[in-house]
Amino acid sequence: MNLLDIRNLSIELDTPNGRILAVDRVSLSIKEGEIRGLVGESGSGKSLLAQAIIGVLEDKWHVHADRFHWRGIDLLRLSIDERRTLLCRDIAMIFQEPMSCLDPTTLIGAQLSEAIDTSQLSGYFWQRNKQRKKEVIKLLHKVGIKNHSQCISSYPHQLTEAICQRVMIAIALAGRPMLLIADEPTAAMESTNQGQIFRLLANLNQLKNMSILLISHDLENITHWTNTITVMYSGQFVEAGTTEQIFNKPMHPYTRALVDSSTKANLQLPAKSRLMTLPGSIPILQHLPIGCRLGPRCPRAQQTCVSAPKVSNFHGHKVSCHFPILRETVKKQPLKDKPVKGTN
Amino acid sequence: MSVLLEVKEISKSYKLKGYWYHKREFNALAPVSFTIKAKKTLAIVGENGSGKSTLAKILVGAETPTRGKIYLNGQLLQSQSFKQRCQQIRMIFQDSGTTLNPSLTIQQLLDEPLTLNTDLEEKQRRQLIRMTLQKVGLLGDHMNFYPHMFSGGQKQRISLARAIILQPQVIILDEALAALDPSLRSQMINLLLDLQEQMGLAYILISHNLGIVRHFSDDVLVMSHGEVVESGKTLEVMRNPQHKVTQKLMMSQNFKLK
Repeated sequence: MNLLDIRNLSIELDTPNGRILAVDRVSLSIKEGEIRGLVGESGSGKSLLAQAIIGVLEDKWHVHADRFHWRGIDLLRLSIDERRTLLCRDIAMIFQEPMSCLDPTTLIGAQLSEAIDTSQLSGYFWQRNKQRKKEVIKLLHKVGIKNHSQCISSYPHQLTEAICQRVMIAIALAGRPMLLIADEPTAAMESTNQGQIFRLLANLNQLKNMSILLISHDLENITHWTNTITVMYSGQFVEAGTTEQIFNKPMHPYTRALVDSSTKANLQLPAKSRLMTLPGSIPILQHLPIGCRLGPRCPRAQQTCVSAPKVSNFHGHKVSCHFPILRETVKKQPLKDKPVKGTN
Repeated sequence: MSVLLEVKEISKSYKLKGYWYHKREFNALAPVSFTIKAKKTLAIVGENGSGKSTLAKILVGAETPTRGKIYLNGQLLQSQSFKQRCQQIRMIFQDSGTTLNPSLTIQQLLDEPLTLNTDLEEKQRRQLIRMTLQKVGLLGDHMNFYPHMFSGGQKQRISLARAIILQPQVIILDEALAALDPSLRSQMINLLLDLQEQMGLAYILISHNLGIVRHFSDDVLVMSHGEVVESGKTLEVMRNPQHKVTQKLMMSQNFKLK
């Protein structure tokens, strides 16, 4: 069953020069117990999409959707308060820089116990404090912090970044969510710590059957951890499918370029040879191209690309392109070898 | 090919607070030696706090080494003579957005190293700035712009232009590719490789990303806690990692060379 089902979600921004369509009809669905990757470069609207899902966008952003279902409940019909209580209970989010998201003036223990809802505790009010403390320690153990007493009585700046991110995950787990949205959880972290955080998320997914929406700007980093991937480019939906489909048989020219430009996926390339790359740079929000926004940079662009393409579905592999790369055309081009999944 | 840069037994230690008769020292860098030839790239990998950035700072002259000597083209580099060093060894930082002065135009930014280090006339300097901007894939007219008018990838190109404008021999890339988006990163890698071919530059690449290290470098130094634990040709080290730190690093990125 689909946990989250979003169809044609658009986000508009009010500016002095009129409204700008920042996210243009993006669809996203998350099944129960899967890890879905959401990949896009900076300015692709992936963080906006995540914030729109949990409803923390400011008033100047306007969100529309054709369908917005959470476990079969149509959220668009609910009032804002009802929607908020429902999503608060079931969805949690962790952010990019754990150091800046934790309160620097409060002890870690206090911040954690704040996140525990009273309804989870049982017993009389004089027993609550003790239970809360026990619960905090349990949460810390869950995210792999063994030295709980030292962690509880320290401030965020006294801990390393990886531990802070673990504390953030613990706070997110306090509400026992069904879906965890991780917005670049390992940005600016060194690779050994990155591995630890990803392994922790994978464990939580396996043991607790928690679904995870993993947001990242780099395709090559997350392919090892995800079941399915959605790719976005400058606010538009590009491609969605299983990790193998996206990585081994990319159909959209943009995904193809991402995979080809990755140094990790192309280990068969001789060192110091030129990498495949798209010309130009990412368009800024004020000057978005019409139609398919990849148009000016796309090697396969033709006249029809000035109108936005429809999403076509090839056996669950959805792609939004007028001229998708099908398998036959890949074979004709011996220069572009099929990338070996060298990371596994 | 002759050796361009030779580093001999460089070490750095900081004095820590302590009592008069048992002073403590913190060794940020144990004695390190290596050599680089022209048109070659040396990669330095390691965890945080392994001394990579200290090494880079010593090479560029921002820190003085406690012991050891650096030779450039066989000549000893004095730790005080910045004039010589500025021209030959340049550095690019990770976050290009914060390393460019926001109140200066690109022309003024690139003019600074020229006025300080060369005797060129204003017209010649202008010409050189225009040429350098074109070399890094920007337009000559971009020199009248301010840094905030550029995107992240373009800012990194401007930092590169500032690094190569004095025709240096060594460029140090301190995580210069980490903060870029993937499609811009591959553009930047291509550009750096082209410049290496054209100008005969030697690069010292400090990076976490083993994929880039594999693609970009000829030799590699693996550092841990201020010491070099493994060094050699990149491909040989990655095919057959000997030290535990190297193995751990490759494990954590699921990186395996066949």
